[in-house]
Amino acid sequence: MSRLTVSQLTKRFGALTALDDVSLAFEAGEIHAVLGENGAGKSTLMHVMSGFLTPDSGEVLLDGKKIPVGFAFQCKHLGIEMIHQHFTLVPAFTVAENLALARLDGLAHITDSKELAAKALSIADKLGWRIDPDARTGQLSVGQQQRLEILKAISGDASVLIFDEPTAVLAPHEVDDLFRVLAELKSQGKCVILIAHKLTEVLSIADRVSVLRRGKLIASEIRSNVDAQTLAEWMVGELPSRDDVPQGVAGDICVQASNLSVLGDRGETSVRGVHFEIRKGEILGFGGVDGNGQVELAECLSQIRKPSSGEIQWHFSNQKQAIGYIPQDRHVDGLALNLSIEENMLVTALDDEKLVSGPFLNLKEVRAWANRLVQNYSVKAADASVAAGSLSGGNQQKVIVSRTLDQNPELLVVLNPGRGLDIKATDYVHQMILEARTRGTAVALFSTDLDELYKLSSRVVFMVGGKLVEDEGALSLVGGAP
Amino acid sequence: MKQLRNASFPVLLLLILVVTLALFRLPVVDSLKLLFAGSFGDQYGWSRTAVKSTPLLLTGLGMVVAWRGGMYNIGGEGQFIVGGLCGAAVAKWCVFSAHPLPVGLGTALILTACVLGGAGYAWLAGWLYIRRGVEVVISTILLNFIALQVLGYACSGPLQEVKKQVPLSDALPDTWMLHKLNRQMDVHSGVFMALGVALAVYVLLFRTKLGYKIRLVGENARMARANRLDVDRSRLTAIVLSGALCGFAGGIEYMGMAGQVGAGFSQQWGFLGIPVALLGGLHPLICLGSATVFGALFAGSENLARFTQAGATLVYVIQAVTVLGYVGIKAVSDRRVVQEAG
Repeated sequence: MSRLTVSQLTKRFGALTALDDVSLAFEAGEIHAVLGENGAGKSTLMHVMSGFLTPDSGEVLLDGKKIPVGFAFQCKHLGIEMIHQHFTLVPAFTVAENLALARLDGLAHITDSKELAAKALSIADKLGWRIDPDARTGQLSVGQQQRLEILKAISGDASVLIFDEPTAVLAPHEVDDLFRVLAELKSQGKCVILIAHKLTEVLSIADRVSVLRRGKLIASEIRSNVDAQTLAEWMVGELPSRDDVPQGVAGDICVQASNLSVLGDRGETSVRGVHFEIRKGEILGFGGVDGNGQVELAECLSQIRKPSSGEIQWHFSNQKQAIGYIPQDRHVDGLALNLSIEENMLVTALDDEKLVSGPFLNLKEVRAWANRLVQNYSVKAADASVAAGSLSGGNQQKVIVSRTLDQNPELLVVLNPGRGLDIKATDYVHQMILEARTRGTAVALFSTDLDELYKLSSRVVFMVGGKLVEDEGALSLVGGAP
Repeated sequence: MKQLRNASFPVLLLLILVVTLALFRLPVVDSLKLLFAGSFGDQYGWSRTAVKSTPLLLTGLGMVVAWRGGMYNIGGEGQFIVGGLCGAAVAKWCVFSAHPLPVGLGTALILTACVLGGAGYAWLAGWLYIRRGVEVVISTILLNFIALQVLGYACSGPLQEVKKQVPLSDALPDTWMLHKLNRQMDVHSGVFMALGVALAVYVLLFRTKLGYKIRLVGENARMARANRLDVDRSRLTAIVLSGALCGFAGGIEYMGMAGQVGAGFSQQWGFLGIPVALLGGLHPLICLGSATVFGALFAGSENLARFTQAGATLVYVIQAVTVLGYVGIKAVSDRRVVQEAG
């Protein structure tokens, strides 16, 4: 009998199905990796198993017995522990205090924190970790903080340990040490579940691999039956043959970059000497895993971020509002959620003399224009005066797409336009982008979703470590960013 | 929900008043009558309410502009004081010199100096934030203390009255005070200027491109940046305008009521602008209402103090409780909105 089983789990967020009838079994004494791109449903699955989320249907069984879903504290008591990617430590506490916190039964039994932490500290000794119980947690390195998280979880006799992308924050040598500990836990008979998207790591440590894509379980296989290529295909879907790729009619060069480098927010070089050109009427697709310089390059193309070296040239016939930018994160960069739809739309049209005369806004004109966009792009809202935050994700994206395309930009820069949207909304947004291209707009499409990338792009390049790789063989790198 | 909150406010206020009066062991009904008589009972009551509300309205508007722009200006007090000081300094030159300027021109110059003084003082905080990353909340609080010290120095130093006996500036002659409708009443032309300013701030925030940019940056600066708006510039504009309004409030108080500046020049008008702005929902026109409510409480409590032991302290207690109550209600209703959306 399996240690932990989930059966027919389904979880929806609004129109988006995050988990679609997923059934899986996790064994004791095994490292089971769950793979998938961003938004594939990995985190939702883990959160359901550890009681942080209540599924719409389906059940979770521990040692064959059904356990209540949606109660994190109870799951913890039953021995299911999750090691979060964003640590759940109190920075101002000492190491011992944080370890004691995990073992605290209630406020009635506050005793010496060292006593409560003793077991965790002895486990640390056995693992060969040197940890000072009196150190301030906030001053520890990320790797050490993760060790604390692991100690918190295993000091309480948990039988199921769920690791949420544990290597994302670690340096290479720390990854090696983590894997040594995972193997140790496995040999003690624990059921270790590993969420990941880096293929090489998964292949080096896992005994069994399951792949999720768009909320569905694609496959679950033992390690010896799979290789990187197979896993990559499962994760991103099969490539359409190149004959299906829409070509469009490419015209004059719209934007041209040579040896272009761009710095990230922390001053690191995110884009390293790339060369490319985008012509009018073509879509250049930039693939690759998140965090390889896509946002920085997109912002540079949109004249939001300045290049640090190299050259980038735009050839526009009309400078005003020639660039349309559809950012990756609707809530962070795309919308002011407390403002109305019309106020969110107006931001791209401030140069429109019909809507803005001199220093004054023509409120009537703005409203009429915004309502027209709401209708034309079938945004589901009573009218343009409601707050953007009250819309569903798909309709929010339509607000952004409509205000951007209404300006007839000569260059359109788009990041993951379909992320977090349901299929219908995604198709709609894709259609809009293709129509813009047909009208002669040059499009830079950044997407981690290969289906999206190949469906829309005239040409595809990949971003790996800030560099551009034209080779399609780079596909196997998609799951294994440096 | 929003309508409900606005409608429930007068009821809430009355409830707080009753409870506070009861806690002070005052006869509730009689005290309410005294409060009302002192604030709206007759034309003198109305007049007192109006002049007390005026500085509150202006500093409240100052807070509205800054906070809408995401600049949490807590320095209304300092900007108010610096405004008044700059006015007194210019007055020293154009009123108390051997050859005084004509009243009209002089008044315009003095008020302009007040506005520029407040604006410049707030600009310091804005500059510190944009160039050096100093949080506006911190810098403006600290600048308040500096302004108080400068005020103390000026009133017993360069701006002290001619006889050098008390730490106050020279009192403006009656002819230089803002025009009064009626010699028996306090209402002066500054009250009407403030009403005009409230309307102007409304138009600025909701009908102009500049105001739109200020609000957009305040709501989501990253979105503004992603659309190539100059975020720093909008922020600086917001806080400088805010300082200008507070400085103007100082000028109106100087030329309308006080006539001179001294250590007690600001009765915390700058700080009180914050509850006025918050209760006014950061909306310039609703602030007309919230400023009037607080102004009336001040005016009424003067009357109450005449017949009972309760003084202006009562007003501060009531203000504190209303603000806490308001913030509490808002937190609960916001959470409900989030839950409905999520």
